Amino acid sequence: MISCDVFRKRFTRGTSDAGLLEHLRGCDLCLGPAVEIDPDAMFRSLGGEMTPPGGVDAFVGEVMRQVRLRNTETAIVPPRRLGWTRRAAVAATIAAATIAGLLVYQNNRPAVVQPRVARAVLAPEMTRPVIESYESQNATIVEMSAESASDVKIVMIFDESLPVDL
Amino acid sequence: MTRRSLAVLLLVLLAVPGVAIADTAPADAEKTASVRTFQLRHKDADKAAAMIKALMSAEGSVSIQPGTNSLVVTDRPENLKNIAAAMLAYDAPPQPVQLTVRLITAARVDPAAAAAVADDMKDVAGKLAMLRYNAFQSVGAANVEGREGEQGLVDIGNGYRAEFRFGEYDPATDSLRVTDFKLSRLQNEQLTQLMKTTLNLKVGQMTIMGAARDPESARALMVVFAAKR
Repeated sequence: MISCDVFRKRFTRGTSDAGLLEHLRGCDLCLGPAVEIDPDAMFRSLGGEMTPPGGVDAFVGEVMRQVRLRNTETAIVPPRRLGWTRRAAVAATIAAATIAGLLVYQNNRPAVVQPRVARAVLAPEMTRPVIESYESQNATIVEMSAESASDVKIVMIFDESLPVDL
Repeated sequence: MTRRSLAVLLLVLLAVPGVAIADTAPADAEKTASVRTFQLRHKDADKAAAMIKALMSAEGSVSIQPGTNSLVVTDRPENLKNIAAAMLAYDAPPQPVQLTVRLITAARVDPAAAAAVADDMKDVAGKLAMLRYNAFQSVGAANVEGREGEQGLVDIGNGYRAEFRFGEYDPATDSLRVTDFKLSRLQNEQLTQLMKTTLNLKVGQMTIMGAARDPESARALMVVFAAKR
């Protein structure tokens, strides 16, 4: 197919050149200049000789109006870009989700247990159980805490093997 | 520069590191471990080993020689000094101790039928009231004197007999260990053991050891201890 420059240089009113008409069928950009030179050129390029209703000029005018309108619509529709408010909203959402995720992770992960062994080893043993051992298999020993070191210490042994008449 | 001066310079250069090593040698020697053997005369070596572990460094070690009742301790010299002082205090001759044992029967009765508490049991009755015991009867009491490691045997009264061994006094807890305390009762000319236990009694503190079949038992036997040095 010939180029647009070649078409516009060679196109004349009433031309029937097959190459020019073929270019005219496939090129919208050259349609306008060609129709201004020869309104019948579009019909010749389609291969028809009929006259459209309302006349050729009215038909061509309507076609060109549609072409311009479509071009205008394409030019007016802005590219789909987010405004600064939406961008800020998206950023805030992402930040909130990240912080919430971190908080959940911090709350759910196991707490670090401080080693107590060293402290237990270093601290002197200040008290001992009153009953260190008791020879029975079914005994329960309850040691009650004294209010002070000089207070009476009570420890109870509950043992069903003991005689009833103690 | 002559050959002689070069040789002197070489010797000086070789001698400097040697002097430096000689200067640091005493410091290293202080950090190196020493070995010392402690033979115990009054206390068990295995118990002494447990006692000195808190004084040892991480690099130190101790081995027990049961045949000679001694410890072989390997540690830094400064730690060995502290361990030696602790061992001297620990391996003291058996100290005189004293144990008072009282036996009291306690019962839960109708408050209207409860008798007045005798004066010699008011110190115990006040404390046992929280266990809902309100009637008390003295069975007997005995006072035993001895030394650490010695055995004690005492008839308390009403057929009850206490047999035990004085354990060691523990200065850290100010308590006296009473091992293998066996309480028996003579019935129909037959001695029956009621209980056997090992106790840690704080010196100067009254300790009540109650014995009952279960917490709801209407009757319990109270053994009241008082240890002294």
